[in-house]
Order: sequence, then C-alpha cells, then structure tokens
Amino acid sequence: MLEFSPEVANTVIKTASYIAAGTALIAGVGPGIGMGFAAGKATSAVRRQPQARGPIITTMLLGQVISGSTGIYSLVIAIVLIFGT
Amino acid sequence: MKDINDPVKVQKEILKKVYLFSLLPIISSLLAGEFKVLFGFIFGLVIATLLLRLKYNNIVRALSMQEESAEKFIRNRYFLEYALYFFVLFTAARNDNLNFLAATVGLFMIKFVVLLWTVADLVKDSFQNKLDQYK
Repeated sequence: MLEFSPEVANTVIKTASYIAAGTALIAGVGPGIGMGFAAGKATSAVRRQPQARGPIITTMLLGQVISGSTGIYSLVIAIVLIFGT
Repeated sequence: MKDINDPVKVQKEILKKVYLFSLLPIISSLLAGEFKVLFGFIFGLVIATLLLRLKYNNIVRALSMQEESAEKFIRNRYFLEYALYFFVLFTAARNDNLNFLAATVGLFMIKFVVLLWTVADLVKDSFQNKLDQYK
C-alpha cells in the first residue's frame, strides 16, 4: 500500500480543499446572471405599467434577497474549506 | 404582507421583524456569556441590514435605466455585493473576537425572516380559505 509522510498528506489535503473552495465559488455566478435578467424584465415592466412600480420594486427586492442566498451558501462553504483545514 | 405598494414600508416591516427575531439569539448568547457569538451575530446583522438598504437603492436606480443597462448594472452590483460578503465572512473567520457561524447566521437572518414570513402568509391564507369554504 502507498503511504505518504504527514507533510505530503497535509499538502495534498490543503491543495484539494483550495481547489474545492474555488469550485464552490462558481456557484456564486448563477444568481448574478439571474438577478440581472430579472432586473431587465422589471425595467421593461415598469415602462409598460408605471403605476405598478411599487409592487414591482417590492417583489424584486424580496426575490433578490432570497435568490442571493445560494451564492452566499457557496461562499460560506468555500471559507470553511479554506480556513477549516 | 400588508403594504406591497410601498417598498420602503415593506423594508421597515422586514427589519422590524428581523430585529425582533434577533432578540432571541442576542439575549441567549448574553445570558450564556458567549460574547464572541454575540459580536459575530451583531456584526453579520448590521452588514445584512446595510446590504438590504444598498440593494433597494440599486433596484431603484436600475428601474430608471434601459433594459440592457439595468441588467448589466444589477449583475455588476451583485458581484460587488458578493465581494463584500466575502470580506465580511473573511473578517469573521480571521478575527478571534468574532464567531464565524454566528456572523453567518446574522448575515442570513433577513433571508430566514422573509422566507418564514412568506410561509406564514401562505399557511394563513390557506387556513382562511378553508374556513371560508366551511362557512
């Protein structure tokens, strides 16, 4: 069986966790694209119906608050991977 | 949600509920003498409040733009916000006086409250509908 010294094993674990943290951060890109798309559609909706500006802003604010959380989950995982090892 | 037509009122209502819910972890960590948890939670909560305000300002600004530029603007602002979240979590992880998990929960508090509020509204509505049908 292949055996590594503790230093080599530690380096391998650290490298793997950094790669995993970088991969986890990719999850933060999706909400940004989705939010931008929603904002564009909200802008055209306000242009079509200016009297619905208030409900559109409220819906967009609540939607963006919730949809942004998936990106932060990945950020938390990445930071735990970086500092936890 | 009572005043969906007035986003500022909705924001105030959300923040009121968030602070009300936050009293539980704040008081319990004070009673337990866990000051790192307390500071971490308050740190996360304050940043989350400021970021909600920033998000509202960005949305209002984006609505006065063209569709493509609003899309780009909100996307860029999201990535800036993401970087801010990173710095906040990085600070909480590096600083010995702040509890990382408490700071994370503080950051997520607004999202938890909005979700809980929506679920509570849904349950209330369905219960009311069933009651009306029964009558």
